[in-house]
Amino acid sequence: MFKLRSEAAKGYTLSAPATAYVGFLVAAPLIILIAYSFWSQTYVTLDKSLTLKNYREALADPLVHHLMLRSIWIAGAVTLTTVALAYPIAYFIAMKARKKTIWLLLITIPFWSSYLLRVFAWKLILGFNGVMNSALLGMGLIDEPLSFLLYNEFAVVLTLAHAWAPFAILPIYVSLQKIDPSLLEAATDLGNTPVQRFLRVTLPLTVQGIIAACLIIFIPTVGDYVTPALVGGSDGKMIANLIQVQFGAANNWPLGATLSLLAMMSVGFVAIVFVIAGRGVGRRIR
Amino acid sequence: MTEKNIIEMKAVEKRYGSFRAASDIDLELKEGEFFSLLGPSGCGKTTVLRMIAGFQEPSRGSILIDGQDMAGVPANNRPTNMVFQSYAIFPHLNVANNVAYGLRGKVPKAEIDARVTEVLEMVELGGLHRRGANELSGGQRQRVALARALIMRPKVLLLDEPLSALDKKLREQMQFEMRNLQQSLGITFVMVTHDQYEAMTMSDRIGVMFDGRLMQIDTPATLYARPCNRAVASFIGEMNILPALLMEEGNSLLLIDAAGFGRMQIERNPNASGHARDILVGIRPEQLEIKAEKPADYPATVQGTVSNVAFYGENIHYHVAVDGIDTLMAVSVPNYFHTVDFNRGDAVWLGLQEASVIDLGKDK
Amino acid sequence: MKRPSLLVVYAFAYLVFLYLPVLFLPLFSFNSGTIVAFPIKGWTLDWYRKLGEQDTLIQALWNSLGVGAVAALMATALGLFAARAFVRYRFRGQAAAEGLVMLPLVIPGIIVASSMLVLFLFLGLKPSLITVTLGHTFLALPFAVSILKSAFDDFDISLEEASYDLGCGVGETFRRVTLPVVAPGIVASILVTFTVSFDEFVLAFFLSGNQPTLPVYIWSQIRFPAKLPNVLALGSILLFVSVMLLVLAEYFRRRSSTRDVR
Repeated sequence: MFKLRSEAAKGYTLSAPATAYVGFLVAAPLIILIAYSFWSQTYVTLDKSLTLKNYREALADPLVHHLMLRSIWIAGAVTLTTVALAYPIAYFIAMKARKKTIWLLLITIPFWSSYLLRVFAWKLILGFNGVMNSALLGMGLIDEPLSFLLYNEFAVVLTLAHAWAPFAILPIYVSLQKIDPSLLEAATDLGNTPVQRFLRVTLPLTVQGIIAACLIIFIPTVGDYVTPALVGGSDGKMIANLIQVQFGAANNWPLGATLSLLAMMSVGFVAIVFVIAGRGVGRRIR
Repeated sequence: MTEKNIIEMKAVEKRYGSFRAASDIDLELKEGEFFSLLGPSGCGKTTVLRMIAGFQEPSRGSILIDGQDMAGVPANNRPTNMVFQSYAIFPHLNVANNVAYGLRGKVPKAEIDARVTEVLEMVELGGLHRRGANELSGGQRQRVALARALIMRPKVLLLDEPLSALDKKLREQMQFEMRNLQQSLGITFVMVTHDQYEAMTMSDRIGVMFDGRLMQIDTPATLYARPCNRAVASFIGEMNILPALLMEEGNSLLLIDAAGFGRMQIERNPNASGHARDILVGIRPEQLEIKAEKPADYPATVQGTVSNVAFYGENIHYHVAVDGIDTLMAVSVPNYFHTVDFNRGDAVWLGLQEASVIDLGKDK
Repeated sequence: MKRPSLLVVYAFAYLVFLYLPVLFLPLFSFNSGTIVAFPIKGWTLDWYRKLGEQDTLIQALWNSLGVGAVAALMATALGLFAARAFVRYRFRGQAAAEGLVMLPLVIPGIIVASSMLVLFLFLGLKPSLITVTLGHTFLALPFAVSILKSAFDDFDISLEEASYDLGCGVGETFRRVTLPVVAPGIVASILVTFTVSFDEFVLAFFLSGNQPTLPVYIWSQIRFPAKLPNVLALGSILLFVSVMLLVLAEYFRRRSSTRDVR
């Protein structure tokens, strides 16, 4: 019973179904996407001869450039905003709050409501005839509805900062939680003011958590579809919306595949640069 | 205790890659014996226990339980049961169901109920049948674990540090209870422990392990009086260890020149692993007499200075620096009169009877 | 009275920021006016009553329930084995395997959705509830694995050894010890993965073909201002159900991890 198979063999056997499932659904589509990206399509006929046409087209298209850069820019802004807003909360829960589990639960509950509905709620709030404007008008704070609330980049950033909140709070909370309280006492004992202590001990020790939070927000945000479609307007459209059009209305799968791959590569590139830079910063503060 | 061997381990070895967790284990345990495996953590004692239980297979050698070779017999088919260090009380079952676990489906329901009640009485948990696993105190968990194993009527009961999770008072009480239980049941108990006092108070015999090897197997009294080497001597109780020169070697006596104390004649230790010109001798702290004047009736005396006094209550320990001896000599004095007679810096004499010097064999 | 610190004030302000938008949905779902703006005209339950009359909605609900149930069971079953492997055994490439099953969490939704659509069509699977279920299993797996991993983390291995020691074989031990002890974790995993599937939109949007799930149905209704109150009522029910399931899951997760196994 114990010698039948080695530890490692049992580990492989038990984990194989899950890893094979995920592995297959990650690798197989990727291979097909890559294949598609080298094929071409005229109207409805698919030409399977290899070509770089899609890449040339995509890279030359100013719209693609524009959307890609905007996606990365917006994702960056969302990441920064979310993490900056979340850090104090994570700090509060980890260091000050008495009922940590209640706070953590409170933070995560809204996340479990449908993402679609949360974005939709922001659309209702920020709309020209929406909740915010009607409330402000009713209170007499403004004379006419504010039009800059919805259908722009600001709306996208605000909505996503709301949507990703727990993803930012949890990793930072975990890294804060790991800090041995005696380290902080030692810093104080060695003459640090609370601010110095935060900058020289707490912050460097949570760099890993911050990096994790940034990646977990940045990567999916670049490819977000719902938010730009609902609250972005024409000003806030992102690369995902263009990809959806290629797979949907435009029915140009080779171009869609190419755009997906390009998006993935840009995300990967930015993420790697970010991780390296983050590590460097982490070391610098120390 | 009978003369029948219930467990025989022959040249057992357990390797993990190149690491030998246990090697050259030869062990014969008598039916009805209380045996302890004693040693520091990582010495391989738990590995030996788990090989008997069947959780680990020996890399080499054989294990016989009641004459049957256990090679290839899985843990669930061995006539042994175990009390785990963590007690491993099933959290989803109440006391009665925990205890009945191993009998369920194998023995008629009415008999299970009767045996559960009986065994719970035995471990003094009568009436706690329906108590939840999470509502038990540490001592109660230990009793449930004991009852759950005993109800299987094992030929050998294995105990992995069974008392280490309990506080000191409860631990001492349980030591006696378990010893009494073992004697009334007549089952062989094999206990792993790192606590020498626990091993000494409970066991018929103790096997002392270091670095995967069984160094010495003996009764507690013999281990204390005739340890086989320096490691065992200093692990069991406290021991002053001195280098000595072997002048003359007889069959039962040795003439030595011990550091500081000079020439003396001591008993040859049959357990010692061998002799050479340089040997080690041991002196128990309670065998040294400490006096302000040179004691008259002691054949060996040295002069020294008190460097530390530790008050233990029932005993007082003095550390004494002696010329010609590198280490401080520890002296333990029974605290008859509730006074500390000497203070740090006092000049004192130490007296010693030759009979209380223990030959520890050659100095490696 | 002690002045509350800036941090506490911020924490509560943040909670308002988190909850307020979500709470507007149920608030306006009781509004008798059709425009989502203050002031509220009057209170009504009409919108909820009308939900039951819409056949396509009911069908979408059944679709979602079916997809959610199957995806939850599949993800939890896969996750159960994987989590046990990750906690109990040490093997080469373990970190990579653990990373791999977490991957669905970080791949942008549009890329998962488009690439799966391409794959399934390539394999000859028409977009349908089956493809959605397969996709949701993929998305839910990381949640199942992490919940079950923590359930196994709290599981003392000597419990299984004790069972072997008391005469039970591998199968009996799994049934009588392992399963009951990690059961709360399994229930929590099923509830959470069900919720993940039930609320998921982008993948279902790409893969459901002409069998919409509830979020896809909602998406199709959002565009029509006249349908707005309906969507609000439906969304509020969805919110309520999700939160209830999650609170329930949290209860079970707690039970599995606070259960004293020392």
